[in-house]
Amino acid sequence: MKKELESLFIYSLVLALVSKIAIGLGLGKWAIKKFDLTPWMIEGLPWLFIALMAVCVYLLSRAGMNSKGTAQKGYSGYIIGWAIAALLCFVLWDFSDAFADLDIEFEFGESSLLLRFANYVGHGLLLLVTGLFAFGNILGLQTAAIFAIFTAAVVVIAQTREEDEPAGKIEKIIAQNIVAKIAAVPMIMTALGVFVGCTIWTIFYSFTKSGLLPKANFVGLDQYERLWDTSRWIISIKNLAIYGVCSMILSLLIGFILAALLDQKIRFENTFRTILLYPFALSFIVTGLVWQWILNPEFGIQKIVRDLGFESFTFDPLYNPDIVIFGILIAGLWQGTGLIMCLMLAGLRGIDEDIWKAARVDGIPMWKTYLKIVIPMMRPVFITTLVLIASGIVRVYDLVVAQTNGGPGISSEVPAKYVYDYMFGAQNLGQGFAASTVMLLAVLVIIIPWAYLEFGGRRQND
Amino acid sequence: MSDVSVSVKNLDLNFGSVEVLKDLNLDIHHGEFLVLLGPSGCGKSTLLNCLAGLLDVSGGQIHISGKNVTWSEPKDRGIGMVFQSYALYPQMTVRGNLEFGLKNQKLPKDEIEKRVARAADILQIQELLNRKPAALSGGQRQRVAIGRALVRDVDVFLFDEPLSNLDAKLRSELRVELKRLHNQLANTMIYVTHDQIEALTLADRIAIMRGGYIQQLADPMTVYNKPSNLFVAGFIGSPAMSMIDGEIQNGGTSFSFKGHSVTLSGYEANGEVHDGKAILGVRPEHVSIESTAQAGKTLEATLDIIEPLGSNTLLWFNVDGVIISALVPSELSYKSGQTYHLGLDISKASLFDAASEQRL
Ligand SMILES: Nc1ncnc2c1ncn2[C@@H]1O[C@H](COP(=O)(O)OP(=O)(O)OP(=O)(O)O)[C@@H](O)[C@H]1O
Ligand SMILES: [Mg+2]
Repeated sequence: MKKELESLFIYSLVLALVSKIAIGLGLGKWAIKKFDLTPWMIEGLPWLFIALMAVCVYLLSRAGMNSKGTAQKGYSGYIIGWAIAALLCFVLWDFSDAFADLDIEFEFGESSLLLRFANYVGHGLLLLVTGLFAFGNILGLQTAAIFAIFTAAVVVIAQTREEDEPAGKIEKIIAQNIVAKIAAVPMIMTALGVFVGCTIWTIFYSFTKSGLLPKANFVGLDQYERLWDTSRWIISIKNLAIYGVCSMILSLLIGFILAALLDQKIRFENTFRTILLYPFALSFIVTGLVWQWILNPEFGIQKIVRDLGFESFTFDPLYNPDIVIFGILIAGLWQGTGLIMCLMLAGLRGIDEDIWKAARVDGIPMWKTYLKIVIPMMRPVFITTLVLIASGIVRVYDLVVAQTNGGPGISSEVPAKYVYDYMFGAQNLGQGFAASTVMLLAVLVIIIPWAYLEFGGRRQND
Repeated sequence: MSDVSVSVKNLDLNFGSVEVLKDLNLDIHHGEFLVLLGPSGCGKSTLLNCLAGLLDVSGGQIHISGKNVTWSEPKDRGIGMVFQSYALYPQMTVRGNLEFGLKNQKLPKDEIEKRVARAADILQIQELLNRKPAALSGGQRQRVAIGRALVRDVDVFLFDEPLSNLDAKLRSELRVELKRLHNQLANTMIYVTHDQIEALTLADRIAIMRGGYIQQLADPMTVYNKPSNLFVAGFIGSPAMSMIDGEIQNGGTSFSFKGHSVTLSGYEANGEVHDGKAILGVRPEHVSIESTAQAGKTLEATLDIIEPLGSNTLLWFNVDGVIISALVPSELSYKSGQTYHLGLDISKASLFDAASEQRL
């Protein structure tokens, strides 16, 4: 009985939080409109779960009525902690609202920093007090209620657990490894909020016809249809494919060969490594500008070779729509290969020297040792570099902007630039979101099977 | 000279400006089990790598089976090598590990199969042939590594601390197996270790190295009983030999220290023993506890510490500040703080010149 109640409590807690967040994101309003619901059906959901929590706590206290209740001393600390958290949460929520509502310059004028800060605090406190009495802030109130009930649950559990009874679910969650859990909370919040939250938000609004600002006016798949009808998007995808395949293969190849050369215990290794890694320290913008000059027919390689006497020599990739993407590729490789080389070098160094000796005694030629023994052993390094290169490919943007700005015409456009231009340039958020959702999907299509092979497969092996 | 399998002549090896091996000479007979023993960093692995051809020598020559192989590739030297870290190819099965080198030599298929089967049979790893190294225990991995040397069908095996990564029990098991393997194959084996038990049990001859020089090259019993210098005496034997600083007096007939004196009658000297500063080394098992004092034979000593070792007990005595240890059967009981009469078996002791540290 107790066990089920505790489970129910935890599920209600999770559901209360989830529904609260979902409503906060605006899903509630959308659902009301879409399914013709009365507002309280949605807005009441968190309250329903909060009430369920309260009932669980009440029943838990009833169930434990007869136990002697060896209140664990440490629990008072937790109780105080959770109570403070409840209060803080309420205050902060009000604060944030207060800040959001403030027009600082208007309210306070050009006052000193300290004075301004004092004003914030005062303003916040004022809002807190009014909020407390007016029950004005639903979200803050809900959060505070959740914390308060949680505190009550802690009290009840502390009061009703027998000495020899095993710890229940709630106790396990709140009391065991509490320091580690508290330490992990900010990171988990950030991860969930930033990665999952923002991703969902983006996908959500890609089904709307948001323009300058996100608005929840749904148009189904219209944005996607438009996207695939746009020749600029098609060219972007083609360019990305060419750039991606070439950059992947060449970065790995050149990076590995350079690393293998550096690994031959040569002199001045540090110098070479620094030189080769140096481009990586430059931003893509600088790289792009540098290579824009180098590839410029009037000043760069073409000019130099022609000056040497080869009059008909032409090398102007940035001005030829058919090969412009290769001009960008060169700059990308120049910038990124150093890092790949360093990673590969670290991988090579991680290989037991005895393996090399054993292969030499076995009479395996050097190239075969690399191919059949060393490279398979460096699998983790290759995976890391692959992920790095792939993420670099999908994001490629600044290089294009600096070198060609998509030109000549639209022949060197890339998806990331498309997204950026639509979101901020064309003030068509919906279209930008649709494009980025497609990019996300493309990445997932690659990553999920790989992750499945890498992690799912291994579990069965070992 | 046809009896010599591996011959090292005036070998020098430098790493940059660091001289690791200096003018080293060594002849190893056919079918001999030679152990290179020495403290860490003395150049054992370096010497082995030179023999294998994994390091380019700075001077001197190496002959294997009568051929000058100083500048040959490792694969052409007729050697197989086993490493401390096993150095198996992790992504290949055991069979793949054994076959890889042979396939590369383009040997016919049935020949490869025959050799792999033979090695697997000798080392009893038939059931493991289709497993990956990751799925093997340390002892099994080392067996596979030995197998990889075995299939090469060579005259000389080189081992670089093959048992150091194993736990004590496995190590003693594999030690016995190595001995059996050597008896069965009758190959020349050169074995690097810093474990003196391994050296004493396995070796036909032990080469004790220090700082790039061979200090003594002899069979285990000679090394143990007649160490050629102070370093060897201290390095070999556990519990270690007790060293007594003193002086030889009375025309080489007695050794005295701190006012005590023992006669040297019964000591087999290398040459004539002259008076002067010297060091007397006595192994704990050659120290006995006598019931009565005998002038020139026994020493008055206070028992400091008692260390039970199981079958024996190690007693640490103090003779006016000089520490002497004795190994006695554990049935006998002694009390620390009491005074006993120690008898030293001079015929089995070692005497070293204090200046040159060489055996007298
Ligand atoms: N590649 C190298 N460069 C410079 N010095 C080296 C190199 N390899 C070994 N040395 C030096 O040569 C000496 C002998 O090394 P070696 O590896 O032969 O010792 P070892 O007797 O095998 O010791 P261990 O028992 O620790 O394996 C050491 O002092 C070591 O510092
Ligand atoms: Mg070594």
